[in-house]
Amino acid sequence: MKTIFFNLKYLLVPFFSLITILGLLKGGLYVWTGVLLFVFCTLIDTLTKNIHLKAKFDANGNSYGVKYFQYFIMYLMLAIFILLQVVLAWRIYQYVDQITIQQLNFYSFSYFNGITLNNLIGAIISTGLWAGLGIIYGHELSHNKKEGFFISRLIMSLSGASHFTYAHVYQHHLHLAHQDDPATAPRGRNVYMHTWLSYAGQCKFSYDLEKEKLKRKGKSFFSLENKWILGYLYSLPSIVLFVWTGGIIGLLSIVLVCILSNFLLEALNFMGHYGLVRENGKPIEHRHSWDNDSVFTDWFFIAIGRQCDHHVRGETYFWELDDVKGPNYGIGYFTLFLFTLIPPIFRVYIKKHLDNWDKKYANKKEKEIASTFKSY
Amino acid sequence: MLNFIKNKTYNVELVPSSKNFIIKKNQNLLSVALENKIDWPFKCRVGSCGTCVCKLLDGKISPEIDFSYVLNQEQIKEGYILACKSSVKSNIKVKVKLKK
Repeated sequence: MKTIFFNLKYLLVPFFSLITILGLLKGGLYVWTGVLLFVFCTLIDTLTKNIHLKAKFDANGNSYGVKYFQYFIMYLMLAIFILLQVVLAWRIYQYVDQITIQQLNFYSFSYFNGITLNNLIGAIISTGLWAGLGIIYGHELSHNKKEGFFISRLIMSLSGASHFTYAHVYQHHLHLAHQDDPATAPRGRNVYMHTWLSYAGQCKFSYDLEKEKLKRKGKSFFSLENKWILGYLYSLPSIVLFVWTGGIIGLLSIVLVCILSNFLLEALNFMGHYGLVRENGKPIEHRHSWDNDSVFTDWFFIAIGRQCDHHVRGETYFWELDDVKGPNYGIGYFTLFLFTLIPPIFRVYIKKHLDNWDKKYANKKEKEIASTFKSY
Repeated sequence: MLNFIKNKTYNVELVPSSKNFIIKKNQNLLSVALENKIDWPFKCRVGSCGTCVCKLLDGKISPEIDFSYVLNQEQIKEGYILACKSSVKSNIKVKVKLKK
């Protein structure tokens, strides 16, 4: 029983993603389901912010996590994200083709055929939000297994961010909390600027990584082994699908979905390491990440908030990560995300945490580096 | 039957230190070495820094990541691997320079 509950609790995103898809299929105001679910998650996360659970292990110290089940779900998420895009593309086609809005039945499933502009906007936001939240699977799969790495690339390419998989492993994990890591936001930067700088920085890193690798192998940059080029080519089916179904409106829609999902991805990076510093060449330790492990965040984001442990034991499956008493915001990602959206509020909130970090966690050299930043 | 496969264990022999430890099939080489208090050098544990590099002298491992971003072609041909991204598939013999 313990094993069943332990594994099922991580199914919130697959479950809510399917409900979002159902909302898109149902049509009418139901296309806003994804947005409502996001609000619902924010409320639950805020209400449960004080509940923090430790990772659970049996008497022999083994995790209750069932690896094959969790991997099956993570791989399945690729199909769910593709389905999400296909259903949105169908709605765009209906809008562009000005299909008459009427209620129809597909067997016993009643739905609205056709869509208004307002509802199309809802459908795009719903898709972008859940494509963005699903990026956590792209993150998890970038570690641990070779075939998982490939699935991660495909998941990320649906949001035009296939560079992430390489940049995350070979750059972020290596240069964390240092200026060489674009995914670490320095003090004073806001989430909007961070989204762009982090995206561009990781893209550039991935480009350079492939360039160097192919040079070492004596191969041309324009080679089938170029994972940077291939990664963006994986995004082509999505672009073709949206242009085919909606022309310029379809193209704009997929661009909006990608912007929204990348914004959520970079917001996670932003919250995970904001303002933390590390001396170049020194080991990465628990203090170089912010933990975010309130119960809803932990279950929803498949423990991605246990950043302190993840960055020290990068090979560890998410269900085995634990609270290591590192720096902790004390609130969940959804709640914190609201603060990051309004930079002046976020700065006020983060000040006490950064002051505490400087005082309790930073070593002498890190205090010196931190003091060079003029604002929070 | 499945448990038998899952719990199949192998021996890891380290040279020149002559240390040994037991590892389950598909377990991560570096993680189990550290659990066994082996002073294996490491840093990132995700296959990006190359600190845990060692030479596979005998046996089979499965790379969990593409080693060619950290190791050059000659090193890969000579059997160098990254312990933090290697799943063990048989009894193995590994050359590694331990910290102590």
